[in-house]
Amino acid sequence: MKDVLYFAPTELTEALKLLAQYGEKATILAGGTDLVPRINYYELKPEVLVYIGNLGLDYIEQSDGKLIIGAATPTAKIAASPLVAEKAAALAEAARLSASPAIRTAGTIGGNLANASPAADLATPLIALGATVVLVSAKGEREVAVEEFFKGPGETVLQPGELIKEVRVPIKKGKSVFLKLGRRKAMTLSVVNVAVYVEMEKGQRCVDARVALGAMAPVPLRCKKAEGVLQGCVLPMSALEGAEFLDKARIEKAAELAIAESSPIDDQRATAWYRRKAGKVLVARALAAAAGVAI
Amino acid sequence: MKYVLSFNLNGLPVDTLVKATDTLLDVLREKLNVVSPKRGCDNGDCGACTVLVNGEPVRACLTIGLTVAGKNVQTVEGLQQDGKLHPLQRAFHEHYAAQCGFCTPGMLIAAKALLDKNPKPTREQIVEGISGNLCRCGTYVEVVEAIQAVAAGKYKE
Repeated sequence: MKDVLYFAPTELTEALKLLAQYGEKATILAGGTDLVPRINYYELKPEVLVYIGNLGLDYIEQSDGKLIIGAATPTAKIAASPLVAEKAAALAEAARLSASPAIRTAGTIGGNLANASPAADLATPLIALGATVVLVSAKGEREVAVEEFFKGPGETVLQPGELIKEVRVPIKKGKSVFLKLGRRKAMTLSVVNVAVYVEMEKGQRCVDARVALGAMAPVPLRCKKAEGVLQGCVLPMSALEGAEFLDKARIEKAAELAIAESSPIDDQRATAWYRRKAGKVLVARALAAAAGVAI
Repeated sequence: MKYVLSFNLNGLPVDTLVKATDTLLDVLREKLNVVSPKRGCDNGDCGACTVLVNGEPVRACLTIGLTVAGKNVQTVEGLQQDGKLHPLQRAFHEHYAAQCGFCTPGMLIAAKALLDKNPKPTREQIVEGISGNLCRCGTYVEVVEAIQAVAAGKYKE
């Protein structure tokens, strides 16, 4: 086997130079929790490893109405951050429920996205919260919505030479909820996961709703049709005027539409049939919790 | 192509020559003859290779060796002090918290990582703390009891 080169740059510019130099030959290494098993089992034969753990991309900050999370921030740090819990509850919950302690210590938010698993736990809350990723290369910087970042299983819009620098999560007034169904409670991949964001004007009228589904399509999916039927709806007891009532029936309708937009597969974790059944229940529960509706 | 890897292992500085794709588990077991971390799955599932890197639990099999350059790595070999077993080791021993023993080093490290951060965990927190460590013999109940005993102060340093 050809010798593999290893670089551990300490400056972002240095890293980008290496990525530009080696192009498609370069494999970016962060926590390694998704990458290293593929090396161990010879599924991936890297030529050049560029380790980005020394670039100082491990941070959680609040700036300009946004939560800024460095790409190399470990999942454990996100799960333990009071700032994330307060400003992006669904993301904190997804981080808390993902994998197991020793995986959360190493695995990073940037890696979870770049690996582009359809079941990536951090992707759905980021989509529901309207987050973006900042991609940098030697040529410059661009910002892409997380919902537009994925192209298929293991495929993203990342170009050779490009690196995720950080994730930006807008801090909004509404409530976000993440629910996950796995084969067991801990150390499990999602059979289906759901993240929703709902903003209620005066606690009574839905002015913004976002629904995202994980492990239900080739990519983490935003369900716009489901969001559409919630927009402008008011709680049944509300004095506010609204298009329709936001009640049990409406939430179930939204859940049905969300599942209709999905295209789950049969795999070792569950059948597509089960994913649809369970996914619908999860969407309804998440929306009810976020909107404050009893179902 | 070999690279020089220098780090602290159980308090002592070590240098070794490694390939870029050697994992920390390869480095510990094959180069340094530190064999408490076990190669169970090489896939991150089983937890038998769990070690501490700068005090945080990680899978040695998922950690590229070169990424621990300059860091502190702790394994079960470093738990005992002055020839005396660590409280967790004594508690595991006395609670029969091992049958075949293959998962034990990983369990001990996971338990240490938990207690270092949270010296008085609830039972649920203990279960969560070892949720990434599989035991094919099914000694979970004894493992949890052993950790509970240490948390209750029944085994002093």
